[in-house]
Amino acid sequence: FVSVSCCPSKMACQGLQKGETLASLKKESESLKKKLEEERGKLNDVELHQVAEKVEAVAALSLKTRRVLKGHGNKVLCMDWCKDKRRLVSSSQDGKVIVWDAFTLNKEHGVTLPCTWVMACAYAPSGCAVACGGLDNKCSVVPLSLDRNENLAAKKKSVAMHTNYLSGCSFTNSDMQLLTSSGDGTCALWDVESGQLLQSFHGHTADVLSLDLAPSETGNTFVSGGSDMKANVWDMRSGQNIQSFESHESDINCVKYYPSGDAFASASDDATCRFYDLRADREVAVYQKDSIIFGASTVDFSLSGRLLFAGYNDYTINVWDVLKGTRVSILFGHENRISRVRVSPDGAALCSASWDSSLRIWA
Amino acid sequence: MCSGSNSIIQAQKLVDQLQIEAGMERFKISLTAADLVQYCQEHRRSDPLLTGISASSNPFKDKKTCVLL
Repeated sequence: FVSVSCCPSKMACQGLQKGETLASLKKESESLKKKLEEERGKLNDVELHQVAEKVEAVAALSLKTRRVLKGHGNKVLCMDWCKDKRRLVSSSQDGKVIVWDAFTLNKEHGVTLPCTWVMACAYAPSGCAVACGGLDNKCSVVPLSLDRNENLAAKKKSVAMHTNYLSGCSFTNSDMQLLTSSGDGTCALWDVESGQLLQSFHGHTADVLSLDLAPSETGNTFVSGGSDMKANVWDMRSGQNIQSFESHESDINCVKYYPSGDAFASASDDATCRFYDLRADREVAVYQKDSIIFGASTVDFSLSGRLLFAGYNDYTINVWDVLKGTRVSILFGHENRISRVRVSPDGAALCSASWDSSLRIWA
Repeated sequence: MCSGSNSIIQAQKLVDQLQIEAGMERFKISLTAADLVQYCQEHRRSDPLLTGISASSNPFKDKKTCVLL
């Protein structure tokens, strides 16, 4: 949380007390909130699925499990694809981080972290390192060695330091900067080489559970979601919270940008996934069914943005037609909660990670 | 009066934040949704999970293997 000094200078204190009282400030924020609602309401001239009426329906998908990656001894909490479209990194509750070749099922590297619950892991854009962290409140970068016998844990370097668990991490467009989200309610941008904090992002009023960087063409923003039920969009350079969305009824577990960068999706404990249009500044779709009563933990888009893959606590993955708002498929196979779904960089496959200790590749 | 000025600072921050958000330029959904639909349509042919691609071009789908006798 923001640490506001309890006693600013006496003059500032008096200045604040002179001009604005707490009551008038509260009144102003209420009227601003109302104005925001009105402005957003004016733009709601049509629903997304209405605009998509003429679009042809999605043909039946024939997605099957093509690989099962076994090797973790405990819940798999996170995974990320390498840009080479075949390797991936996964992390689990027992502290293990494994790099796999998903084509051959070969385990190429393994690191054991001293902490349990490695909730976040990410592949570096170069493919030469991975970042990971969790209950240790840190995000560490581990260079991947070509020498199988080398002890990777010895080369591990602590980069990010939070005051609560690490919930998410992502390299920016190079290996040099790392963006993190934490249970301490903040996100932060770090220089990997020096470990220096470059920018911190304050605004969430509870644990931040997820973050996603805007596609590079869209510029320097990212979106975060948290236990305060809010999704916030941030300017990476200034640290400013530029947009905020509050329509979920429970924790937001995951946020992911639509491939064009003009929208993003979220997954929540309220059993819905939602779609937010950034230029209209409002929610434009809710993906839900009466029969879906368990929380959604993770979402990702297919390459064109037409399909939304969402993993749930009822062990299934629902595939949604983003434009029409309907469910097009259900993927069964995992034997416990889904913790993460990610489409491969070339869009050829979906990887899912689960509390059942395995990862599956679907295509 | 420390806790008093604390909540005033927080309240001022909230007002500043809301003013930034209120000042944002927004567009009608009829316009923005059309762009979202257009993006999907333009990229649908290069979306393997949507269109399905043959086993020969998808490395995860097993091909029938040749056996040299």
